[in-house]
Amino acid sequence: MYKYSDTDKKIIASRVKQFENQVNRRLEGKLTEEEFKPLRLMNGLYLQLHAYMLRVAIPYGELSSKQLRKIAFIADKYDRGYGHFTTRQNIQFNWPKLLDIPEILHELSLVDMHAIQTSGNCIRNISSDHLAGLTLNEIEDPRPWCEIIRKWSTFHPEFSFLPRKFKIAVIGCTKDRAAMMVHDIGLRIIKRKNQVGFEIFVGGGQGRTPIIGKKIRDFLPKKDILNYLEAILTTYNQEGRRDNIYKARIKILVKELGIEKFRSLVEENFSKLSNKELEIDDKSIKEIFGFFRLPPLKPNTNQMPFKKNQEYQYWINQNVIPHKIQGYSIVQISLKAPKKPPGDATSNQMRALAEISDKFSFSEIRVTHEQNLVLPHVSNKELFNLWNQLKIQNLATPNLGLITDTICCPGMDYCALATARSIPISQKISSHFNNYLKQEEIGNLKIKISGCINACGHHHVGNIGILGLDRKGQEFYQITLGGSAKEDAAIGEIVGPSFSKNDLIDAIEKILNTYKKHKINKSDDFLSVFRRIGIKEFKKDLYDNFTKKA
Amino acid sequence: MVKKLQGETFLLSANELRSGKVVFFTSKGWSSSTDEAIKIKFDEINKYEEISIREEKKCIIVSPKFVELDDSGNIKNLRDKIRNSGITIKI
Amino acid sequence: MIILQKKHEHKNHYKQIIEQDFLEENIRNGSILSISQWREAKHIVQEQKIDVAVEFSSNACSLSDKDEISKAAMVQINFETFKDGRPFTFAKMLRKKHNFKGELRATGHVLPDQFIFLIRCGFDSVEIKEEDRDIWLELLEIDEGLYYQP
Repeated sequence: MYKYSDTDKKIIASRVKQFENQVNRRLEGKLTEEEFKPLRLMNGLYLQLHAYMLRVAIPYGELSSKQLRKIAFIADKYDRGYGHFTTRQNIQFNWPKLLDIPEILHELSLVDMHAIQTSGNCIRNISSDHLAGLTLNEIEDPRPWCEIIRKWSTFHPEFSFLPRKFKIAVIGCTKDRAAMMVHDIGLRIIKRKNQVGFEIFVGGGQGRTPIIGKKIRDFLPKKDILNYLEAILTTYNQEGRRDNIYKARIKILVKELGIEKFRSLVEENFSKLSNKELEIDDKSIKEIFGFFRLPPLKPNTNQMPFKKNQEYQYWINQNVIPHKIQGYSIVQISLKAPKKPPGDATSNQMRALAEISDKFSFSEIRVTHEQNLVLPHVSNKELFNLWNQLKIQNLATPNLGLITDTICCPGMDYCALATARSIPISQKISSHFNNYLKQEEIGNLKIKISGCINACGHHHVGNIGILGLDRKGQEFYQITLGGSAKEDAAIGEIVGPSFSKNDLIDAIEKILNTYKKHKINKSDDFLSVFRRIGIKEFKKDLYDNFTKKA
Repeated sequence: MVKKLQGETFLLSANELRSGKVVFFTSKGWSSSTDEAIKIKFDEINKYEEISIREEKKCIIVSPKFVELDDSGNIKNLRDKIRNSGITIKI
Repeated sequence: MIILQKKHEHKNHYKQIIEQDFLEENIRNGSILSISQWREAKHIVQEQKIDVAVEFSSNACSLSDKDEISKAAMVQINFETFKDGRPFTFAKMLRKKHNFKGELRATGHVLPDQFIFLIRCGFDSVEIKEEDRDIWLELLEIDEGLYYQP
């Protein structure tokens, strides 16, 4: 893991001081709410439906046990004993007081954490593949690049007041586990003629105008990455629309100009404005890679232990994948236990996990964009022992990648923007499909639920997407089919008129029946079937004779 | 704040600046309960909007809004109901 | 209002020319011109070797090479709102692309929290209310030297 330098520590500490100053000026009336809002947002602080909400950055989803303990401490002392992991690998507290925020930030700074740029119209926390550095087919570990970009983007003097928020994701292999194609900038590390560099996508995004990113560069030598990012941001900051908040994201600029024109503006800025000092030399690359070396794992021939315990075997089957070092496993921890809000963890669970990661996974924990956690390096022979300890904490739900492993935004239970609730929908789904074998038979299926058109619950890229709407004061849910956030990224298609809360499960069952009817074999998953037969079949089965349709 | 309002009776609500807590305007100032909140008729809205602006300037509250009531005097919209009575799920 | 040039405070020596007074003979040392006025009058400025400023609004930050902005003594950018980040990029462009070496000043709705950003993007000075001086200097001090970019 990355270790903070003295400079990092000083920067974070000065930020705490600065924010304290801002809060005091706000309380004394020297800053109006209009002026304070962008400043607090840049520090991760929202005002939500019931209270303030503080979003804490977990750069590229990587946490130490010490940091997780601090998060648990903050949840208990300043909040209501829990936190919510987000789709950008961060964590949110739902109930902090404005007066306490400087103190919370100070506590975070003691473990090298902060809330910088987790919101606001600036470059947000950089996100990445939660399996970075753990799999065999990787060209290069993306985390060191995330760290390089994190530093460059933190308090960037030129890009802190952009037209709108700006999200960057970096991945290191052809598999996309970071929804890279729906980011403002997506970077994929590739190899060409034995040279490693970046393939660059721009203008992807979700929200009310979902768009898959367009390729702007086939290949960029890695030393130039910061100069190229500056060229894109320079173009966006100058040309991006500021007249209409809904048209202010870079995706709209790219769409309006066309990728060719946009590329030519970027390339011109890249060639004219590039700064020698932003080039990254081999020495600093090597230095930063040094932080991300694997812990001392010893390859061995231990297999994942078999036990005559069905629940454990389900869990092994569903949540555990092999590590690139033989004899070790990557353990994925579902935060989608039945009846629990997706992505939530209590302070007790966090403390237990910190303990568990100290014992079994070199004190490392990862956060996934699908709102789950990962223990990255677990020795195979410890798996059963580990499972027992996770189970006590309700952290051993065997549903990774299955229908009850939903992505879900906080919805109208917490969010001031939401038009409908989303957590109760996810809970309905998890109760209805609780049975593991039933889920396993359905197979890979991503349901993603958003409580409004802003799409924080990624519904556009769900295999089944659910969007909560307000229809004359009633909650209704629109279904989209065929979306994907992976390397085959696609935006889902609306299947038809929306459903009431009570009809929704029935509708999902019908959609699954259509799928089952056309499924050829076990590996023929929902998305493959959808792509083969198209939305028409689903539509027909769903709405013909559907008397209660809205 | 007033522009889009429909309906006849409202409560004036806001978040307390320091804590973020949801509060309602009563004859004795702000309260976290709706029990004593002043029921505001549509034609009194402007007067209460001025009050809210004044209270905001004094740095007591933030994000003031009018909450619409139904015919029986209960909060009308689901969002406002949840805002008043809390999240609808178990943690 | 005072001018803060990093930590040094001084009086404003520049003055706007009111539209109806825009005549060649009214342009003198310290005049502030709009970009269209500059385009009309830049030959006089050069002939008479006087120092004038050119003013831009944050929502109209654009220039062409023909404008020869490097010949102005000062460029002033007026922020309509502190949320408009275009002047930060414009400052970079002035310095790097248009080779502007004179004083670059921010006016209008700017927050003290943005002081270090302004300076680091190439601004030299900012026009602020006299009573705000202390908070501007205080925030500059908190931030000074603590950043990652070159």
